[in-house]
Amino acid sequence: MPILLLVLGGGPGGGGGEQAGKGRATVIVFAAASLTDCLKEIAGGYEKRTGDRVVLNLAASSTLAVQVRAGARADLFFSADEAGMQALEDGGLIVKGTRRSRLSNSLAIIVAAEGGAEVNSPQDLAGPRIKRVALGDPQAVPAGVYAREYLRRLKLWSALEPKVVPMESVRAALAAVESGNVDAGIVYKTDAAVSRKVRIACEAPREDGPRISYPVALLADAPQPEAARRFLEHLGSEQAEAVFRKFGFIVLAGPVP
Amino acid sequence: MSAEDWQLLWFTGRMAALSTCLVLPVGLALAWSLARARWRGKALVEALVSLPLVLPPVVTGLVLLKLFGRRGPLGHWLYQHLGWEVVFTWKAVVLALAVMSLPLFVWAARASLQEVNPLFEQLARTLGAGEWRVLFTITLPLARRGIIAGTMLAFARALGEFGATIMVAGNIPGQTTTLPVAIYYSVELGKDSRAWMLAGLSATLAFLAIWAAQRLLRRPKR
Amino acid sequence: MNHGLRASFVKRFDDAVVIEICGLALGPDPEITVLFGPSGCGKTTVLRCLAGLERPDEGTILFGEEVWFASAGRRPLPPQRRKVGFVPQDYALFPHLSVERNIGYGLYGLPAGERRGRVAEAMRWLGLEGLEGRRPGALSGGQQQRAALARALVVRPRLLLLDEPLCALDAPARLRVRNQLRRMLRRLSIPTLLVTHDRADALALGDTLWVMNQGKLLQHGLAHDVFSRPANLEVAGIVAIETVQPGRVLKTAGGLATVAVGAATLTALPLDLETAADEVYVCIRAEEVILVKGPSVPSSARNCLAGTVCSLAREGPMVRVGLDCGFPLAALLTPQACEEMFLHQGDAVSALIKAPHIHLIPRPD
Repeated sequence: MPILLLVLGGGPGGGGGEQAGKGRATVIVFAAASLTDCLKEIAGGYEKRTGDRVVLNLAASSTLAVQVRAGARADLFFSADEAGMQALEDGGLIVKGTRRSRLSNSLAIIVAAEGGAEVNSPQDLAGPRIKRVALGDPQAVPAGVYAREYLRRLKLWSALEPKVVPMESVRAALAAVESGNVDAGIVYKTDAAVSRKVRIACEAPREDGPRISYPVALLADAPQPEAARRFLEHLGSEQAEAVFRKFGFIVLAGPVP
Repeated sequence: MSAEDWQLLWFTGRMAALSTCLVLPVGLALAWSLARARWRGKALVEALVSLPLVLPPVVTGLVLLKLFGRRGPLGHWLYQHLGWEVVFTWKAVVLALAVMSLPLFVWAARASLQEVNPLFEQLARTLGAGEWRVLFTITLPLARRGIIAGTMLAFARALGEFGATIMVAGNIPGQTTTLPVAIYYSVELGKDSRAWMLAGLSATLAFLAIWAAQRLLRRPKR
Repeated sequence: MNHGLRASFVKRFDDAVVIEICGLALGPDPEITVLFGPSGCGKTTVLRCLAGLERPDEGTILFGEEVWFASAGRRPLPPQRRKVGFVPQDYALFPHLSVERNIGYGLYGLPAGERRGRVAEAMRWLGLEGLEGRRPGALSGGQQQRAALARALVVRPRLLLLDEPLCALDAPARLRVRNQLRRMLRRLSIPTLLVTHDRADALALGDTLWVMNQGKLLQHGLAHDVFSRPANLEVAGIVAIETVQPGRVLKTAGGLATVAVGAATLTALPLDLETAADEVYVCIRAEEVILVKGPSVPSSARNCLAGTVCSLAREGPMVRVGLDCGFPLAALLTPQACEEMFLHQGDAVSALIKAPHIHLIPRPD
């Protein structure tokens, strides 16, 4: 067993860049599925510059929270809603003072790019031609929770609930709309932007929609707290914010309580 | 157990029963032709039928998704001609359960069909019985032990099927959520106690079905 | 014009075994024909081809005007349409059905009342009353045989095919059932082909006999005739004539032939010899040899051979006496006869054989 740890512990180094005397660290980041593309780009740039390695575990925030609570090894948790983060904080799994919410998003109703149904307003979703609507699971997945709140505000939830196909993450909902197996879906605007197989039928303006917030924090049992803090810092840097904006995220000025 | 849980159980049982009803005629036809007839391509069909037993269930689910999705060859045809939507409906549940439990049934039924002495069938023919009558009055009754065991095995497998189901039917509460899917999602949501309760239920059902099947298969003939 | 069954066909098997049947004929008269031959000579296959359970490679099988099989023609007539009663070797009663339902199996299209009536009648006729509800596993061998027969007969078949009907029975049952079977078959008046490898069965049950060996039909005739007068050595071996010895015809005169066998001379009727053949085999059935102890008396038997007793052996209910009369001769006596004559090894006896009981077969060089 010790030999195994030795072999595993002496892990492969990242590409390029040396840290004199420090060796290469691996930062494990559990992040919401909607952050897939932008985090990959940020992490890639970071790895090149610093020589640290960033490993991303991307899934619905609710799933990730369960994994962390069950003892999964991770350094940072980047959730798509405050509820998940709060649950971890209440459980004492977050390092106090490292929690920060600087990112937001907006919702969009999407249909398949080719042959997608005609949807011009959210009310059209209640129409007879829309039989199935994909959401992240409204019971847990942040995107689904937001979508349900949004529909409730529009008083459309009871009409739409029977048509909902709960998916295990917002990206799964996106894929469902791409495949044509559902008629429409509600995902983040940023998700719709990365897929060419869907088009945005209509957007939920930020004022009408629910307040979306993406908190990030250092986990208490982080295996590499130093390296993790460095990456956490980087996430708040100008470069990182530029990437977020590029993908369509809304960067909030100043800390959001 | 809440009313919702009973609903879940009832739904899962119903889907498993429906899928077994589908498996029986298809499986019997396959088992019979694999046990009796000699034809080219038999080995290929044998391998195909056994595939869901060995493939990762999600792969089978993926194949079904591609075939029966709205844009898939079969899904599109069904929608055009019968107005049927398969993926993300209970029909997909039945489909997934049937495909995954078919190999078990065919395996058990074929073994017992092979053991039926062909002389009995031949004799029945000399007494004037047509082929269908021979099948229903001689062949199937003589093979009934294996067929019943196969049915129970298929039902048990259907009750516990997850990988293909989740891919092709998803988790729509009240519409496509089966017991195994509910267990998985309970864990996902962190509802551990519910997950354990449902898991216990699932294990009990599976045990009962397998036990009954084993008793049938093992009892000596005379 | 019904000519009954006429079959000539060939069936080949993978391991080069070939069954060649030429001129097999049955009916339309309701006689019992025995197909006699050693185990493995293909008798069962012949039955199965006639029943339609196996398909010959070439030839024809005709029943009256119906073409059951013709290699040049369309598909063979399926067994369902041939109306043949087939009783296989171990009866093959359906194990999952009661005796009553077994017997009634072929009466599917009839109304329930008539079906029950006919089944009851068949069961009465065959002595199976009271066994209606039993499963075949609970019947004795003889009862199973009768049930299988009832099942085949109740559909009133045009032809009856029996495969070794007594083979599965043990010795005491066999004799009793054989007599029963003989009486039953005679009353039935259906042309019957019965397959057996047992000589006693063949003689007891058959009117006419076909001898078969290695897939070929060798001789046909009245049962007793074939057994006494085999056409050639091969048949002689199959019908198990006890004494078969090489001999030479010395002269033929006055309808009698003088044959030298070993150190003895016999007088025989040269009936079966078509051509004047010199070299022959002499066949004598052991049952037809009479033994006399003591001074010889004038008798009608043309042959009176002096000899010594070489061996005495029990063969079932009889005793086989091996003699040396200038050539090895076998006689079959009852144990009582042996006792009364105080027969022992080494005794001097005379063997009396009538001329017609000496059968000559030409012997090729």
